[in-house]
Amino acid sequence: MLDARIRKRLGSRDGRGPVIDVHIRAADGITVLFGASGAGKTSILRAVAGITDPDQGRISLGDTLFFDSASGVRMPMRKRRVGYVFQNHRLFPHLSALDNVLYGARAREGRSPRDRARELFSLLGIERTADRHPGQLSGGEQQRVALARALAADPAIMLLDEPLSAVDVATRSLLVEEIAEIQRKSGIPFVYVTHNHTEAIRLGKNMLVIDEGRIVQEGAPLEIFNAPRTAPVARVVGAENIFVGRVLGHHPEDGITSIELGSCKIEASYCGLPPGSRVTLGIRSEDILVSRERITQTSARNVLEGVIRHIIRDMDRAELIVSCGVDFKVSVTPATVRILELEPGVRVYLLVKARALHLLA
Amino acid sequence: MIVQSLRLSLLVVSIATVVIAVLGTAFAYLLAKRRFRGRELLDALLTLPMVLPPTVTGYYLILLLGRRGVLGEPLYALTGWTVTFTWVAAVIASTVVALPLMIKSARAAIESVDPEYETASLLMGKSEPETFFRITLPLAGRGILAGVILSFARAFGEFGATLMLAGNIQGKTQTMPLAIYEAVAGGEDATAKWLALILTGISVTVVYLTNRLSRPAPRS
Repeated sequence: MLDARIRKRLGSRDGRGPVIDVHIRAADGITVLFGASGAGKTSILRAVAGITDPDQGRISLGDTLFFDSASGVRMPMRKRRVGYVFQNHRLFPHLSALDNVLYGARAREGRSPRDRARELFSLLGIERTADRHPGQLSGGEQQRVALARALAADPAIMLLDEPLSAVDVATRSLLVEEIAEIQRKSGIPFVYVTHNHTEAIRLGKNMLVIDEGRIVQEGAPLEIFNAPRTAPVARVVGAENIFVGRVLGHHPEDGITSIELGSCKIEASYCGLPPGSRVTLGIRSEDILVSRERITQTSARNVLEGVIRHIIRDMDRAELIVSCGVDFKVSVTPATVRILELEPGVRVYLLVKARALHLLA
Repeated sequence: MIVQSLRLSLLVVSIATVVIAVLGTAFAYLLAKRRFRGRELLDALLTLPMVLPPTVTGYYLILLLGRRGVLGEPLYALTGWTVTFTWVAAVIASTVVALPLMIKSARAAIESVDPEYETASLLMGKSEPETFFRITLPLAGRGILAGVILSFARAFGEFGATLMLAGNIQGKTQTMPLAIYEAVAGGEDATAKWLALILTGISVTVVYLTNRLSRPAPRS
């Protein structure tokens, strides 16, 4: 378990840079740090790894104290046994893929570094890259070698800084599953920095939303995306509602696919996925209409009954968090809130066009 | 005269180049990576021989290493030996004069290595020396090698400081540039011509090699 209290002023020497002030507890499994770029996510990882030091704070992993400003403890980064995956892989350009992985590889459980490197190459399906240099690898291969390199050094924790941001969408989807599986096999905590919704949902048991150096909300990714608590969180997570559902069946002649989302059933535009497949769906909060009455004669394929849980007021808009079995966030103008007399507890109907629901990678 | 001075020059310059390569890389690493008090001052001091007339550098070296010098006097008292007017003095003079070139090139080369590579190595549990030899040095290798060749050329042509500290004793401290000076002064035109041609040939080769090495590596 990682326990990190970090306070650090960033950047400019005149002492007016943004301040990071967080208390992070990352248990086993994957903890996602989600936020816009510049929110301070990378700085948090770098402080945990010991690349930079907090101004104040205390960082420990299990019984090992990494840093404590109060007692002046500062363990050098090479002793921390932190596996770090950089945004741009940072593979050593003068070494082959295999030599990169062997560079820091440690023997473990009677297996030599070379055996462990080979295991990792086959686990990640990159055996044939072994003799090539980083410049000759694709983005996905580079990031797999970088993962293997970090894991071969037998880390006690893995820190991943937007590892898939430079990887194409199709490979990203595969790598997300591989990272999840590697985490399960390794049994060590992973801290994963991203601003990609799909990665967060598929990896994170627990997600911390970081905004301007602070944790603004913590919880399961889906809950936070669809039901942000405050305006800053709503801004960070963006306009998308995201759901993980299951394909129930198709009506190709109507151009419709039925999908089960928790306790609701909704109709999306036709997709070719076989019934039973898991799908990740998105719908933008601006694309949902709100009505106080049940409307029947409408082009919207979905009319969902729900109750307003709360309303986040921002400058020129309001986000309604509506519970229909699953939570939706719905973006409306302040005028709508006033005219429809919307407030928590009010029953509303959400109108969602099938065409407004789209599949996410 | 030609063979003697060529042989002496090659001996002096080989030793000087090895010393320059090691010292220069060490100073370059120190200046590139460490923040310590007096860093700027050390940098200025090490650059000084590049901007001072070599005779002035030589004069300071006499003050430091001469029989009455700050270091020279205790050395003489202890061993009865003094460095001035020996071939060792020629090595010291050319080392000091050519060292700044090495430091500048090596520092630029070391600073051009993305520090994240070194960070990655340290995070994998490697020590700083191991990181230097296995990551920084290979990645900065071409720039460092270019610095070695440049300072070799500079040491090879060293005249002023050598004359001041080592004198101009044929067969003992008379390197090629000094021999050329003496040949011209003594009207031995043929000797001067041959010495100048040999020296130019070696220097042209060296500059050609440096240019080839300074071209960006075909690496992605």
